[in-house]
Amino acid sequence: MTQRRFPIFLLILAVAGGGIVLMGYWVDLPALVAVRNVLLRWAATLTGVAVLLGILNLLTVHWLKIIQPREGGVYSLVMLIAFVITFLVVAIDTPTGSWSVWIFRYIQLPVETSLLAILAVLLVVAVARLVVRRPDSFTLLFIGTAILFLVAATYLPRFDIPVVRSLRDWIVQVPVVAGARGLLLGIGLGVVATGLRILLGADRPYER
Amino acid sequence: MNLANWLSPPVLGLALLLIYTLLFLFFRYRPIKKSQPSGLLSIRELAPLDQLIKSLGRALESGKGIHLSSGSGGVSGIRGASGLTGLMMLARIARKSAKNDKPPLATSGDGILNALAQDTLYQSYTAAGSRRNFDPSQEQVAGITPFSYAAGAMLAAADQPLEANLLAGHFGPEAALIAEAADRSAQLTIAGSDNLPAQATLLAAADEVLIGEELFAGGAYLQANPAHQASLAAQDALRWLIILLILAGFTLKLLGML
Repeated sequence: MTQRRFPIFLLILAVAGGGIVLMGYWVDLPALVAVRNVLLRWAATLTGVAVLLGILNLLTVHWLKIIQPREGGVYSLVMLIAFVITFLVVAIDTPTGSWSVWIFRYIQLPVETSLLAILAVLLVVAVARLVVRRPDSFTLLFIGTAILFLVAATYLPRFDIPVVRSLRDWIVQVPVVAGARGLLLGIGLGVVATGLRILLGADRPYER
Repeated sequence: MNLANWLSPPVLGLALLLIYTLLFLFFRYRPIKKSQPSGLLSIRELAPLDQLIKSLGRALESGKGIHLSSGSGGVSGIRGASGLTGLMMLARIARKSAKNDKPPLATSGDGILNALAQDTLYQSYTAAGSRRNFDPSQEQVAGITPFSYAAGAMLAAADQPLEANLLAGHFGPEAALIAEAADRSAQLTIAGSDNLPAQATLLAAADEVLIGEELFAGGAYLQANPAHQASLAAQDALRWLIILLILAGFTLKLLGML
């Protein structure tokens, strides 16, 4: 009986909380806005705690990989050592201290930039593979448009072709904007639907 | 008060919410004819979700797992909806593969998503009567920045034998790294995101891609509950309404009345 009551209590809490926050956007009642602000502050605090929980989970997973030796365990060891060093440096030097900034500027940033560079190469390979995997008109359109954009975006003074540049501008301003707006409208409707399902209690991701 | 004030974004937003709620309630509780199949409404085929359902069957036969990556968007704000959709899909995958020796692997880039994924899996296994198969170490936070998350998810997926990877949540273009790693391990990748650059890169890198709002139809396809089918029908009706409004606005503009 208690087990049954608890989900109902969670449902009431979620629906009431969501409803108050949502109504706060339209109804300018001081009491409602105050309650809404309190709820939003709680949510921000809980989000911060969740980041800590996430880091704890990350550390636990990598610790388990080290104590149960398996392939790739050395990467987990490197990750844990890097975490401990970074944590100590930031704790002692403060997040805006010179050593903390050094770690961000000369280690984290280059590593993430390298991944971005790999991504560029990888996409070229993926597009080549796409021709083999899905040889249809959409693939050809996708590749044709990508090539057109690359050609038009490259500035070569002697090989500047006005027609290509105009074609690119037209594609960007008409079909791309229309397509992107269509997709965004669909995504927006999906977002509204997901939110309202939770507000109406049809979806209960918080219920154990 | 002029028309522009009446049609301000807050008023339009409220109108949209009310119309959607009414449509949702209509499709959810409308009387169903006896001749109609148990699924409330007929829905068009989506190849990526068909592939997902097939791969769930193959995973059960081969004893391999399914990896669900719910992204790094958290659960709040606009980005949160795709992560919540990913969680709901995880619940259905877990329910369908509860008897599998290899439980699904769930990675996320956010603490709340991870906690909810743990709850979701526990609940699904309990409902399927296979609580002994529940393994909390199968829900991992792979990294807390987008690229560290992608790198972590690549490694987590490479660690165990998988039949398919489902990327359902908020990603940036870095999602292509996960899809590429899965491709190297000869695993099927089905991907959907609410982010347009991610959709563009995944179109090239993943085997099957959910475009636009197709990700949000996942619940209806996996038969999460009748509310998802009603929600999908309400979305479709609302889309038609928006199309009609755009056409009306275009006509009025053309006639010089707007």
